[in-house]
Amino acid sequence: MDKEKKTIKRREFFKGSIAATAALTIFGASTFVLDRKAAEAMPREDFLRPPGAIDEENFLYGCIKCGLCVQICPVQAISLAGAGEGLGFGTPYIEPRLQPCDFSCDALQCVEVCPTAVLDFKPFKKVGANAVEKAAAQPGVDLSQVNPFEVQKVAMKEAVQMGKAHVNKNTCLAHQEEGFRGTPRGSDFKGVHRSPGKNEISASPLRDRTFDREICDLCITECPIGEKAIVQKLSRSGKLVPHVMDGCTGCGVCQMVCPTQQPSIIVEPF
Amino acid sequence: MLSEYISNGKNKSPLTPKSIDKMPHTLAGLSFKEWRDARKSNHKMRNIRWSVLVFMNLLFVFSFWLDLSVLEGSLSGSRLVGFYLMDPFNALQLLAISSTTGYVAMLTMNFFIGLATILIFWFIMGGRSFCSWMCPYHFLAEWAEKVHLYLVNKKKIKARTYHIGLRFVFLAGFILLAILTKNLVFENLNVVGIVSKGMIYGPSLLLLWVLAIILFEVFVSRRFWCRYVCPIGATYSLVGKLSPVAVKFEHDKCGYCLECQKVCLVPHELWFVKRGAATQDIHFVGSDCTRCGLCVDVCPGHALNYSVRGASSIM
Repeated sequence: MDKEKKTIKRREFFKGSIAATAALTIFGASTFVLDRKAAEAMPREDFLRPPGAIDEENFLYGCIKCGLCVQICPVQAISLAGAGEGLGFGTPYIEPRLQPCDFSCDALQCVEVCPTAVLDFKPFKKVGANAVEKAAAQPGVDLSQVNPFEVQKVAMKEAVQMGKAHVNKNTCLAHQEEGFRGTPRGSDFKGVHRSPGKNEISASPLRDRTFDREICDLCITECPIGEKAIVQKLSRSGKLVPHVMDGCTGCGVCQMVCPTQQPSIIVEPF
Repeated sequence: MLSEYISNGKNKSPLTPKSIDKMPHTLAGLSFKEWRDARKSNHKMRNIRWSVLVFMNLLFVFSFWLDLSVLEGSLSGSRLVGFYLMDPFNALQLLAISSTTGYVAMLTMNFFIGLATILIFWFIMGGRSFCSWMCPYHFLAEWAEKVHLYLVNKKKIKARTYHIGLRFVFLAGFILLAILTKNLVFENLNVVGIVSKGMIYGPSLLLLWVLAIILFEVFVSRRFWCRYVCPIGATYSLVGKLSPVAVKFEHDKCGYCLECQKVCLVPHELWFVKRGAATQDIHFVGSDCTRCGLCVDVCPGHALNYSVRGASSIM
């Protein structure tokens, strides 16, 4: 290549580099601003991060937006945020009113599948192992009667902390001493869950179920965690009302099944 | 040996061009024009490549839709029958950020295994082969390119080219931006990821960005994104620097017609096809080559072919 041609090439590169730098600056600045907005908006009541999510600051860059958690979830509770949600493009979230995490995968598969550990499996693994050890070490336990997988999976799901449910006393049917009869979310509602009372292997649609309760207690009977998370309690004014315990994982099943127009029990993310 | 493998004869003095009686069209007894246009409608390699590309991308889509669990995830990160695969530029950004924050210690073994698998596989298959054999955006861009060339041909628009080294400015810039903003900035602009995820998880507003890039490629500059911007392609071109699978050029079959350069995404890599440019009897096309095979299809003298570098010396 002769000298003149080389100079032209160099000038071309120089000019291009300036344009590229300008473009990169715009990309960087806009991402930074959008990110700040997203971070300020979190935690949000209508969105939960999937189980095991680490702090938001690390989550936003650690998540490579591959969607493996979305694909593995058997009830399709997880979606990837679009440009409009303001959550960081492409990051996973759960909208519990539409489809909560009901633990019907049994072993936190979205957490286990995450390659970058923004859904961090390590703590759950430890909890599971400890639980199995503890169960085996109990005096007078027949080891052949202990199913380690069962012990592990219960311990792991109880260790989830997505948020905590809060009851709105002004609208909750139980607080008004009202019962509930029928299908809570209508006949075309798409949400599914595995009901603890029915001993199902996989989740079934909520629209196929009808309830008949003197005093509404759907959030209590449908909770996948049970009495560690929510119990029925006699209030000071003598009503039987739901009472959220510290073991609540924030899975949001109660938020989905709540039959009032606006949910009277809402998960507040941590 | 190794230096020869790397340099590919670029600094040597050129061979003497063939005389007219040694030219392939003379040997075939044809006129130059007849000989040159003989394989214009041959699209064998392209059709094979498109089939692979469409098949792999549909495998992603149907693995999710039909719950086949064969190839889960997206091009940003996936599992092939449970075995992890990681997009190398995405991983590079993440490693850059997380090594400044200490998060790197949290990354799973699956992440590193997936990254290593991808690097080894594409090193063998030729780095940027990913672009033409896997990338769904490449497929769209090939159609946009046809429209662009039609418009240029009709003199409706001017053809614009830029410096090929700009890819590395973008590569470095996006990594720097990632560290500064603590965000995978490129992932928000990544047309490959947007198209791939759009097909699998449903379209999003970000497809408008893809449309904008395609329109830019149609009306302003041929294959702008793939040639000058895409840091994924740039990463793969570094990965494929010494790849064994490459397109081989044989000088004695070449008729200096330059048909190959006309169809090529990276014509600078075919520098040796011009009359009086080749310095060796055999050249291998360099690491920017996507191994798309358009030149293999069109070459009238069969001077360009897929081959495995160094295979003859081993066997």
